[in-house]
Amino acid sequence: MNREEKETRFIERIKAGMKIEATDWMPDTYRKLLLKLIHMHGISEIMGALPEKEWVPKAPTLKRKLAIMAKVQDEMGHGQLLLRVAEDLAEPFGRTREDLVADVIHGRVKFHNVFHMEAPTWADAGVIGWLVDGAAIINQAALLHTSYGPYARVLKRICAEESFHMQHGESIILALAGGTDAQRKMLQDSLNRWWESLLFFFGPMEVTESAQQMIDYGIRTKTNEELRQQFFSKYVPRIRSLGLTIPDPNLSYNETTKRWSWTLPDWEKFRKIVRDNQGPKSQERLNLRRFAHEEQAWVREAMIRSRLKGSVVV
Amino acid sequence: MGSGGNDPFTPEGFGGCVKGGEGMSEGNVQEGFGVFEVFVQKTQADFHTHVGSVVAPSPDVALMNARENFLRRDLGVNLWVVPRQCVTATPYDSEGDWFAREFDRKYREAGGYPENGRLWKMYKEKVLQLEEIVEDLHGKGDKNNESASS
Ligand SMILES: [Fe+2]
Ligand SMILES: [Fe+2]
Repeated sequence: MNREEKETRFIERIKAGMKIEATDWMPDTYRKLLLKLIHMHGISEIMGALPEKEWVPKAPTLKRKLAIMAKVQDEMGHGQLLLRVAEDLAEPFGRTREDLVADVIHGRVKFHNVFHMEAPTWADAGVIGWLVDGAAIINQAALLHTSYGPYARVLKRICAEESFHMQHGESIILALAGGTDAQRKMLQDSLNRWWESLLFFFGPMEVTESAQQMIDYGIRTKTNEELRQQFFSKYVPRIRSLGLTIPDPNLSYNETTKRWSWTLPDWEKFRKIVRDNQGPKSQERLNLRRFAHEEQAWVREAMIRSRLKGSVVV
Repeated sequence: MGSGGNDPFTPEGFGGCVKGGEGMSEGNVQEGFGVFEVFVQKTQADFHTHVGSVVAPSPDVALMNARENFLRRDLGVNLWVVPRQCVTATPYDSEGDWFAREFDRKYREAGGYPENGRLWKMYKEKVLQLEEIVEDLHGKGDKNNESASS
């Protein structure tokens, strides 16, 4: 088969709902789009553990501490599963786990805007679990039907664990919502802090060229706006039911068009945060990542050396 | 694992299951890390099931990574890690389908004999199912026979 025939066959398989595997032939654009998406996804899981990790030592009870620790562990685990998928895609480019992990330190891969932001109160730990994970779950659940088999399989495991993250987040915010005035205010302040970031998280309104390509290749099946609309439908009624006010006076549902209208936040501000790592916590968290990666280099090396000598574990 | 200068992890070694440089990526060989496929056995009534893969510098560390990645909640009684290049697999998309079903194979399946029920009715009896036998012997929802009766 020549290149063109291969490409035609490839598209046919995707159209027929068949999955593509790591060992299959795939067009370069497909590989690159997938790699970029999964690399960013994996790195964002790892960076996403950092805002919540800040709350492990400060969690209000032992049960809360154990739960948030478990969640932080899950996010790190998601990062590892996703990087495994990315590595196989990156193999023809001669890139390994080490490269993919180091890329974020050197600004060669971005991570999601929400993980550049501050989490100053316990309510933020709750709102992250409830709404940031909520938004991420909608994204990830939409990707369950992706055309790339290894990604689909890993997402299945990730989504199963996210169902715990949903309950975990809800448990924290429900406790605050049913608490004192001060606790309810803390929750409202946190919602105000996160709202615009949550809208940006789903990506731009317009379907960019690469987004369209991803849809054509079956990597994604839904547009950014479709997912954001689903987020509104699922979460706006719940947020309001708690007596919280969403900081967007124009947010409304149109019964005839069945769509939510919302106010576009300062998109350029958020774009800069992601592109230039210029968010309030970007540099601090990148430094922590760099520190962890570099300070543990000797451990990775020692494990290889000890393998040459024999068993590491007895 | 053996010792004495025989690194089972190099392309020459690795338990002798290397196929023409496939499997472990060049970069990972240089870095000294390899890909291990992970199999979890949930209970001793189950076979090991493939759940994914990990990157590790040795089989021992691969086992630990596998436990951390795949058994944070799920229960297991045994784990296998297999260097990826030790796996021989069928192709997914090739000339001549490996899994072709040229004709109906209903005759091999329990569900391929739906008329039995109707015929038994003539004798005022009904079809005997395996589940019924297992249930009589071990009670309802017996774990050891879940697969046998499904
Ligand atoms: Fe996650
Ligand atoms: Fe999560």
